[in-house]
Amino acid sequence: MSLGYIIKEGFAGYKRAKFSFITSIISLMLAVLLLGLLARFGYNTYEIAEYLRTQVDVEVYIHDVDYNRRLAIRQMLEAEAVVDQVNYISKDSAAAVFIRDFGIEGSTMADLGFLPASYRVSLNSDATLDDIVAMVELVREHRDVDEVIFNRMQYQMLQSRFRMVMLIGGGLGAFILLTAIILVFNTIRLTIYAKKKLIRAMKLVGATNAFIRRPFLVEGLLQGFIAGLLASGVLDLVFRYVLPKLIPDADEMVFQWPLGEWYYLIGAMMLLSLLMGLFGSRWAAKKFIRETSIATNE
Amino acid sequence: MAEKNVIEFRDVAVSYDGKTVLKDINFTLQNGEFVYMIGSTGAGKSSFLKLIYRDIVPDMGDVIVNGYNVQSMSNSKVPYLRRSIGIVFQDFQLLPDRTVHDNVAFALEVTGQSRRIVKQRVLEVLSLVGLSHKRLNMPDDLSGGEQQRVVIARALANEPRILLADEPTGNLDPEASSQIMDILKQINNRGMAVLMVTHNYDLVRKFPNRTLRIKDGRLEVVDANTLHTEFRSF
Repeated sequence: MSLGYIIKEGFAGYKRAKFSFITSIISLMLAVLLLGLLARFGYNTYEIAEYLRTQVDVEVYIHDVDYNRRLAIRQMLEAEAVVDQVNYISKDSAAAVFIRDFGIEGSTMADLGFLPASYRVSLNSDATLDDIVAMVELVREHRDVDEVIFNRMQYQMLQSRFRMVMLIGGGLGAFILLTAIILVFNTIRLTIYAKKKLIRAMKLVGATNAFIRRPFLVEGLLQGFIAGLLASGVLDLVFRYVLPKLIPDADEMVFQWPLGEWYYLIGAMMLLSLLMGLFGSRWAAKKFIRETSIATNE
Repeated sequence: MAEKNVIEFRDVAVSYDGKTVLKDINFTLQNGEFVYMIGSTGAGKSSFLKLIYRDIVPDMGDVIVNGYNVQSMSNSKVPYLRRSIGIVFQDFQLLPDRTVHDNVAFALEVTGQSRRIVKQRVLEVLSLVGLSHKRLNMPDDLSGGEQQRVVIARALANEPRILLADEPTGNLDPEASSQIMDILKQINNRGMAVLMVTHNYDLVRKFPNRTLRIKDGRLEVVDANTLHTEFRSF
């Protein structure tokens, strides 16, 4: 089996059909870039939503009780699955916060010592509203608890918005992926159609179908590689230079790479691009090899 | 010892869309034989050739080519059948973006031959058709007759036992046609069986061989000397 021939022919595809080769690369690049942008925006939206959700906490105000009874409440809170962290705010700390928030006018009120001690409870990001409400109800029943404040409406709104954003993002991603696959596969199909004569000649001289396919696979991989590089470069440019110029006040969180490192998303984009190039070429080549007759009148 | 019949048709029938194109076809082509096939347009000559290189399979009967039964063979074996047949069409089917050398080498490369064999064999077949001096030319630089000679060289590259020529002189002037016939005779004299479909009865008379005609889906033997009067009907 002539590996040299396969590689040579695969790379020669560019010279022989420049226009369709470049068209395939552009369509592949656009598809991968769109998915990359969506992945990066989607991930950052997810991170922001998660952050906002963790900002919603439960405040448990307690009666003026001794250390052991306070500790019992803390242990009860920490035992709950929905609870991530429990912080104790003493009466003095509460007064200090009050003075900080209301300024010098607030100091007279703070000195009265009317502010109770409390526990500020941070919630797990995967906690459901029902579980949180159940926990709140349970804590509320405790004899040493004065009041429990939980902004249910805010949490509910955040959760439903988050779900909606994820649904729209996921649907859009699936739609773009499907459109991209159809677009890319059809573009590659046209590239291979331009080489129908070559396929016919190969069949005529007795090349096996697998052999005919291989140079197209090499060409598909090459197109995928180039398109992946271009898409990654454009994505980086957009997040590094274009978006900070367009929205200069945006939080840095908006421009983060998913999972904190550039190579996860770039690696996924390169892999996706290579796979689309490879399977698009394979599918189109297979179809044409099967359908191409070597007779002259067809 | 090689088999005597390189092609054998036994009671073959082919039909398209309910219309019978070939029926009760019995035919043999022997090793080293030269046979002409004639018939009006649409008579079934192309279908006859397609059966041989297995572009179609018969509805009935058996077609055996170089030991392969085209009906029962698996699809994966078809390329190997085609390597044992050299095929020349009226339209040259050369790849316009490759030199003469590369067009011929291509036939060997796609069948996985080593570089040494490719180099040696390309020169041999180009010399045989008298075009070794034009090996670096592009197909468009050649005349029609020269292009057809390149196609013949490509068909011979894999040393087939049979050469199928479907109107190889159809697009050529008389002089170029005679040159092609000379080459085909030369190849035939080396022991290769040749089956040539043609409408050119002058050539059939000039280079006489067994001549068959497809008429009404059946195969009949024709005397080449009687063709003159029938020529005008095509």
